[in-house]
Amino acid sequence: MTPVLEASASPRELSRARAVARFKWCILAPLVALMALLLLPVLFLQLYFSLHQWTVYLGSWWEAEYVGLDLFAEVLTDPRFGWAVVRSLAFATGSTVGCFVIGFALAYLMRAPFRGHALYYVVFILPMLTVPVVVAYTAEMLLYQSGPINDLISRLAGVEFKPAWLTNPDIALFTVTLLEIWNWTPFSFIILTAGLAAVPREPVEAAEILGASKWRIFWEVELPLLRPVVLLALVLRFLEAMAEFPKTWALLQGGPGTATETLPIYIFLTTWQYFEISKGAAMSYLVMLMMIAIVLAAIALLRREKRSLDAMYGAAAPAAGAA
Amino acid sequence: MTKSNRRRIASLVRHGLLGLWAVIAFFPIYWMVATSFKPDTQWFAWPPVYFPDPPTLANYLNVWFGAEQYASTQYAISSQKPLVSLGNSAIIATASTVLAVLAGSVIAYGVSRYRILSEARMFQLLMLRMIPPIVVVAPLSLYYSAVGLLDTFTGLILVYFLTSLPYAVWMTKSFIDEVPREIEQAAEILGASRWRTMFEIVLPLIRSGLVATFLFILILTWSEYLLALIITKTQVTTVPIELSKYQGSTEGRVYGRQAALAVGITVPLMIVGLIIRRHLARGFSFGMVRR
Repeated sequence: MTPVLEASASPRELSRARAVARFKWCILAPLVALMALLLLPVLFLQLYFSLHQWTVYLGSWWEAEYVGLDLFAEVLTDPRFGWAVVRSLAFATGSTVGCFVIGFALAYLMRAPFRGHALYYVVFILPMLTVPVVVAYTAEMLLYQSGPINDLISRLAGVEFKPAWLTNPDIALFTVTLLEIWNWTPFSFIILTAGLAAVPREPVEAAEILGASKWRIFWEVELPLLRPVVLLALVLRFLEAMAEFPKTWALLQGGPGTATETLPIYIFLTTWQYFEISKGAAMSYLVMLMMIAIVLAAIALLRREKRSLDAMYGAAAPAAGAA
Repeated sequence: MTKSNRRRIASLVRHGLLGLWAVIAFFPIYWMVATSFKPDTQWFAWPPVYFPDPPTLANYLNVWFGAEQYASTQYAISSQKPLVSLGNSAIIATASTVLAVLAGSVIAYGVSRYRILSEARMFQLLMLRMIPPIVVVAPLSLYYSAVGLLDTFTGLILVYFLTSLPYAVWMTKSFIDEVPREIEQAAEILGASRWRTMFEIVLPLIRSGLVATFLFILILTWSEYLLALIITKTQVTTVPIELSKYQGSTEGRVYGRQAALAVGITVPLMIVGLIIRRHLARGFSFGMVRR
């Protein structure tokens, strides 16, 4: 049944292989065509604009002046771009770690069934089921300086607690990171819950019989078995956080000042507020290359883990030839 | 310390920690709902008003049905736009998700049974989702305006279709992988074509999985903001965009109205999410969690 023709294939197997190849292209051709029609022109346009100086104030975009790599040089020497990279990395790292730590703690505490388990589960996934723009506006209702969050904390702690979550440039990025953690901890929680439930019992029981402490079993038996899921939770969350736009934009538009100006925000501002289409395109190109590098590394990591899983459990889908 | 005592303390600590996070997770949602029932004097009051007193439906009637008599002139938002954008969102999310699940399950069947995509290609497919949309959205809008897809249903549906395809393929594949092959082999011996085997035997067997995939992708599409913001203008507003129009308007802070709108667009999402809560892990796990 393999689509690859083998040297010693009989005529019957050959015709079968051809039929499978036809089947394959019937399925894939429309998809490939759609991507070619939609993505190729877009990528081409983006490259065009990053090599040609054009803003909306100039005439037709196809007459823009060719400037070579000047725009890339401009972006790379722009300190504001550098800061946006730093902020994006800090935001993504901070929120990834936050989501992971809280998600893991919740998943671990919820591991064994107990009364109220289902209710906790429902409440814990609700933040993920909130539209990000809604999260931003609700955050504004909660976090203004004399708003309910500060009021509640002041009352519970009995001391005046009045940070300006949204207007103090020193903590605004921290505020959006907290929002991201609130919004997406459910994601880490769900994946890690599924991962913990799938840890096989036998090695754990074996370690128990050998008299290992609970702590040691966790570190030396369970955690290594959980590694693929842990990596998945970290990698996916990091990538999503690098792309986060709606909450930060709807809440602060990169402000106060440039305090929450992450890469997506800065690209958006450059393109749609300053109308420097070409600079925005060059920036987009650099960010795209950076993200492709990160995604490829992430994919390599995930594939390695998946292979080790496949080796351990047997491939989920038996190889095509085996059927 | 006796064993039962220690267990009681452990249970207390557990409920303490879980309860703390439950409060943190739930309070903002509660606040949104409470604000949506508050009369305008309590939206921004000091000290904050924790329970709407008296609760009022004015925000809902005004935002969703354009009922002027419930609005003080200052906050009057008279059109019924939100209902229109709710309809738009429903059409766009449903259409793109149906397409994605359909194409996704066909591809997934091919991958699961005939390896039409290698594992490397399957992972590369994820790029469609993982590259931040911001890096292509500007050229995309220029391209769309050139080919007449800007501000159209088709334009948005196509983009959402492509970006949700990776999840659709991976998730439906995880269901198809669980279908035993013996059934298909029987169908094949009886002379059914590959397409017939797929559409009449395999896909019906995983219909609950297809529904779960559909709802999962619906959640992601429903809340999408950036692409909708750029490639729609006035004709095809979706709900997240409609909501953001209430921000920074000259009327100042219209928290109650925003909240009434927010509740309306969040509740469908929560219902859908709670229906498929057992399947959410599968959607995100790309075959990495074994059951």
